Amino acid sequence: MNNKRSHQESAGGAGYGGIGKGHECSSTSSGKAKMWDEEQDAGGGGMDELLEVLGYKVKSSEMADVAEKLEQLEMAMGTTLHLPGDTVHFNPSDLSGWVQSMLTELNNPAANLDILDHPVLQSHRVDDPLLAPAESSSVSTVGFSNSRQQQIETTQSSRVYNDDSEYDLRAIPGSAAYPQTQEKESNRKRLKTSSGSSNSLPPPTLLPSSQPIGTVAEPTRPVILVDSQETGVRLVHTLLACAEAVQQDNLKLADALVKHVHVLAASQAGAMGKVAGYFAEALARRIYRIYPQDSLSVSYSDMLQRYFYETCPYLKFAHFTANQAILEAFATASRVHVIDFGLKEGMQWPALIQALALRPGGPPAFRLTGIGPPQPDNTDALQQVGWKLAQLADAIGVEFHFRGFVANSLADIEPSMLDLGPADTEAVAVNSVFELHRLLARPGAIDKVLSSIKAMRPKIVTLVEQEANHNGPVFLDRFTEALHYYSSLFDSMEGSGLVPPTDDQLMSEMYLGRQICNVVASEGADRVERHETLTQWRARMGSASFEPVHLGSNAFKQASMLLALFAGGDGYRVEENNGCLMLGWHTRRLIATSAWQPATESH
Amino acid sequence: MQQKKAEEKEKKPKFFINDHADILTEILKRLDGPSLGVAACVCRLWCAIARNDSLWEHLCFRHVASPPPSSVRPVVLALGGYKRLYMVCVRPVLTRLGHSDLVRRRVWTRDEVQLSLSLFCVDYYERRLGGASASSLMFLCKPVNV
Repeated sequence: MNNKRSHQESAGGAGYGGIGKGHECSSTSSGKAKMWDEEQDAGGGGMDELLEVLGYKVKSSEMADVAEKLEQLEMAMGTTLHLPGDTVHFNPSDLSGWVQSMLTELNNPAANLDILDHPVLQSHRVDDPLLAPAESSSVSTVGFSNSRQQQIETTQSSRVYNDDSEYDLRAIPGSAAYPQTQEKESNRKRLKTSSGSSNSLPPPTLLPSSQPIGTVAEPTRPVILVDSQETGVRLVHTLLACAEAVQQDNLKLADALVKHVHVLAASQAGAMGKVAGYFAEALARRIYRIYPQDSLSVSYSDMLQRYFYETCPYLKFAHFTANQAILEAFATASRVHVIDFGLKEGMQWPALIQALALRPGGPPAFRLTGIGPPQPDNTDALQQVGWKLAQLADAIGVEFHFRGFVANSLADIEPSMLDLGPADTEAVAVNSVFELHRLLARPGAIDKVLSSIKAMRPKIVTLVEQEANHNGPVFLDRFTEALHYYSSLFDSMEGSGLVPPTDDQLMSEMYLGRQICNVVASEGADRVERHETLTQWRARMGSASFEPVHLGSNAFKQASMLLALFAGGDGYRVEENNGCLMLGWHTRRLIATSAWQPATESH
Repeated sequence: MQQKKAEEKEKKPKFFINDHADILTEILKRLDGPSLGVAACVCRLWCAIARNDSLWEHLCFRHVASPPPSSVRPVVLALGGYKRLYMVCVRPVLTRLGHSDLVRRRVWTRDEVQLSLSLFCVDYYERRLGGASASSLMFLCKPVNV
């Protein structure tokens, strides 16, 4: 009956999860396995009853195979723009044969379809533990959140590494590998490895073993995908598979996958494609060990940040909320001193100077100490900024002094350098916008800086950081988290409604692209984009004897108003979290502003 | 006959608005932004009057619940004047917030004034900085995604 099916692909096409057997998944896995066993006993020639009712004739033993071919067909139809209409297809009720005939047709015209058809679409193979282990010649671990995986061992996994084909893309899960429901996971598990019965098998498809057994590689939090289309999901999966390959040091596979990502990303419009492009580049750098020069140009990265400042509200939010906290802390002081850990172009300070000028009771004397990295061309960029700020302050009548410090790292700054007077003469504020996380790259640096801050006896410490954990020990976790974080960021920037994207937007994206590169491709002391979540920073500040200062409702109001002004403002959300303000895009929180003061000795 | 005409001429008081700049100023003060801009195109006198910054000051803070403190004026003048404040900050902020569902009132709050002034100050600073582009407030001009 099924003569056309000559090769029995030894993979389970999990895509058929919905056909027929889906409703049985609610039972326990052992129960399911038993049912499966019964069908085995019924003989390989028996037709699947459920499908038969619908009018399709498929042998139970061939279910996996048919499903996989259907998947291939779907993929092939998705990628070709036209279907050849000459051939006559017989007997569509014979699913297996019909699908095969469609596939051979589609396969022939375009040779490049082979890449996409053949190995890509083979899904995971699953070992059914109820089968005698000797029968199955290959096993793999599938999915991440089913604890049964732990029982599965990986054998003969070295085979896949010997394959010299550049297009060995077998690690890419098929479209069935959506980490969505337990149901599908269990379905995959039930698939029989038909390798036991077949003789003419190609080398079995193997997956590299997945994450260390026991750890959940796939985030258990809901996966928020930016693009819900088929190719978007495939893009994400390919990226994750590539990252996993990198994690396991399977560089050949990773190389093939990253090339595939480039192909997919090129055809993906919108934010997802751009993000994928940057992540693919970063992965490629990691694979080939071409690490980016972090010190390439400080002024270049400052310029990029300026574009980022202009096109989206994140930096403005950071500045406005931090300024509000500082303003409230300085309410009664007559001399104030702000220490800025990352002066850059000083965009934060005009608004504060102006607010101080309009303070009821008149402006205080304002002293600013700006810290910045050394410039490659030895220009004194800090002084330039200070000079411009001085002009502004002079114009609006605020007494202003500026001092700049050049330092490679914040840990090099000693409080004694800063010329701080006694505590009651001036009120000190320490401001750090996206700077502290860089210290986590060197052990001990953050503690030193936090104790330096305490020695400065500040009235308030304002801290703005990215709300993401990009500093976990496991590369794949970092990668996954970063992928979601930057997808949200890019998505928010997409909402400006400008097509084609302006220079500003492109530069802003490049600014983020450099961060992505650092998170993914760098390691050790070079990896400075070690973002941590507000919770983690709270713990850190708490253990360094800082207590939180709540940001008031004024800050919240200002932030809300600011965001309402932005194009695409509907997507931005300001939320208050235990006295800290967070800015997010839809449901994803992106940056967090918090304020601190040294804990008062009350023992 | 000529006597009659002369009498008629004497009876009709000639009122030519351009002779009374103070009245003109009072009238123009009550116009909204676009109308003021149009008025400035009428003739040289109107143009000169419309350029008077105090007119724009009135326009900027017309909707404010309470008049701004006196310290605001020198700051605004130093940063570029009320006309610029209106064009660059106040008008976009008003239109943007006016369209938003959250805000449907015509009266400003102090916070909105403060925000506008802050943005205005940033604009001033950016223009002095030069460099990349002085378009920090471009986001105010972009269309809002509905």
